[in-house]
Amino acid sequence: MRVGIPRGLLYQYYYPFWKTFFEELKVEIIVSSPTTKEIVNKGIEFSVPEICVPMKVYTGHVEQIIDKVDYVFIPRMVSISDKEYFCPKFMGLPDMIKYTVPGALNKILSPKIKSDSDSIANPKFYGELKSRLGISTWDLHRALKKADKAWNNFRALSKKGYILTDALDIFEGKKVPSKEPTFKDGEVTIGILGYVYDIYDPFISMDITDKLKELNVNVLTFEMLEDQAIKDSIKFMHKKLFWTFSNKLLGAGYHFYQNPKVDGIIQVTAFNCGPDSMIGKMLELESNHFEKPFMTVRIDEHTGESHLQTRVEAFIDMIRRKKMAGGVSRESNLSPYGLNTSI
Amino acid sequence: MDKVYLGIDVGSVSTNVVAIDENNRVLSKQYIRTNGQPLESVKTGIKKLKNDIDGKYKVAGVGTTGSGRQLVGIMIGADVIKNEITAHATATINYVPSANTIFEIGGQDSKIIFLDKGLITDFAMNTVCAAGTGSFLDHQAERLGIPIQQFGDYALRAQRKVRIAGRCTVFAESDMISKQQFGFSKEEIINGLCEALVRNYINNLGRGKKIRPPYVFQGGVAANAGIRAAFEKELGEQVTVPEYFDVMGALGSAILSKEYVEHTGHTTKFRGFEAADIEFTPSSFECSGCSNLCEVIKVEINGETAAMWGDKCAKWTNSVKSI
Repeated sequence: MRVGIPRGLLYQYYYPFWKTFFEELKVEIIVSSPTTKEIVNKGIEFSVPEICVPMKVYTGHVEQIIDKVDYVFIPRMVSISDKEYFCPKFMGLPDMIKYTVPGALNKILSPKIKSDSDSIANPKFYGELKSRLGISTWDLHRALKKADKAWNNFRALSKKGYILTDALDIFEGKKVPSKEPTFKDGEVTIGILGYVYDIYDPFISMDITDKLKELNVNVLTFEMLEDQAIKDSIKFMHKKLFWTFSNKLLGAGYHFYQNPKVDGIIQVTAFNCGPDSMIGKMLELESNHFEKPFMTVRIDEHTGESHLQTRVEAFIDMIRRKKMAGGVSRESNLSPYGLNTSI
Repeated sequence: MDKVYLGIDVGSVSTNVVAIDENNRVLSKQYIRTNGQPLESVKTGIKKLKNDIDGKYKVAGVGTTGSGRQLVGIMIGADVIKNEITAHATATINYVPSANTIFEIGGQDSKIIFLDKGLITDFAMNTVCAAGTGSFLDHQAERLGIPIQQFGDYALRAQRKVRIAGRCTVFAESDMISKQQFGFSKEEIINGLCEALVRNYINNLGRGKKIRPPYVFQGGVAANAGIRAAFEKELGEQVTVPEYFDVMGALGSAILSKEYVEHTGHTTKFRGFEAADIEFTPSSFECSGCSNLCEVIKVEINGETAAMWGDKCAKWTNSVKSI
């Protein structure tokens, strides 16, 4: 028995859980390859037209593995927080894939995840798998427990300050954790706001975290923060947003504004993302109040990197020059001059 | 021999080459239409500039900017290769130190840059839409049969007001056609268009931001007196067009190269004016190493590979170590 896991959407956040879970059940898993142009093209071909690019990319990942597996694992993500929900596209994703990707109709495993916390280990979500994969209640419970533990270890890496791709590599044993994730004092620190499937898909975000690292910039993201800290920073709002990850981003945004270490915020958003239009605007308006620069980078299917490069470079130049003028600079490595590294 | 610093701005519509002295005074400026041939334009510009300064000055630093900055930076041996936003702002801060807001409208993009005490505090660039940039005005001038140089004067002669939809060039064009059919004159249509573009610019780029005078308007489109007048009308304030409005990006990159050389003490990598004669061949190929099929750009100088880029994995980029 083989189960496919598409390398898209929440893969970056829950893969350690899913992997451990299926391995404990002795089910072989096949993960689609990192996003390529071909996957994107297939995704565009097989998805509904008016949808955001991460959904299209996900569709392409399903298409890549559909013929090689007995099932594709596409959980129906409804909620992971009380009175908060996922974007409706996530809730409808299994159905959308069923009818758009050829051969997917009877191959989708879609346990309905309706949790009150980020932990998705409650056995009652996974009843569907017992009959379809032929596993006992006992085995299900045991595998979920292990999976939850592995996932918590992985989350702890993020909170130590590892960027998600590094945390995943450490989880898979491809990388040994260094003593401390490198955080260079005195350098520019940028808070990046964006969903894991946008930021960490090198094709979608055009490797924005790497581009920033090349410019000697420290990067902070929402998943490095404690859940409570995120919640606390938007406590003042009369009402939360409906969408869980959008709340996390909004909370992280406010946290970055208040954190004196952070010099500026870059929001990475996929063209036509509804929830982002809300949090982007809110944080843009707050930028004046906190006197910290905020920039939105909008991404879509195109692959031209120059617009991203120009904006990111200019944003960092701006902050660096300001830091220099403010007298916080250390001569040697804060020069705003010099060749950029993009050639 | 006195030192001179060169700045080259390779844009989609024009290629600008300037030379400044140590006090940022402009010694030579060349504004050349790119016509889809950036390398040829740079060569022409360099040759013209050489006539102005060769023998009298020694080139001590070179900076490039604009969408073609990388390619030309390699060709010429640039010390600084900088994005357009930093370059434009650097020039403005030097030539109009009091400026708080820069409107820059070029051939294919437009930006707004906010300054405070000589530092950039914020900026915005047009995102998915090129409405209101130089190319669109060029196109409309051609359609109306008016030389683009006279576009602004036409706008200033308008008698009546007419509102043109400026949100999108496609709608703007159909709106212009229907207003022409209603009997409005070319002058009025052009004036309406200028006002629409300014409205669109302010709404798009300045949205939600505090726009503070003094205002500076630069970039190729600043030559258009109609657009400048529309800005002044919309904002109710005077808008300054600096003397060298059309080459500000090039000036900024020249200043940045000067700062870099002074700051680091490096000697310039400038290949000399002969660079304009070096045989310089860019080519591109599709890498078949994986399914990304990246378009890789390769630049050869006298048959030797000088630089490569465009590959996501940097396999080709790193294969060329130094130039």
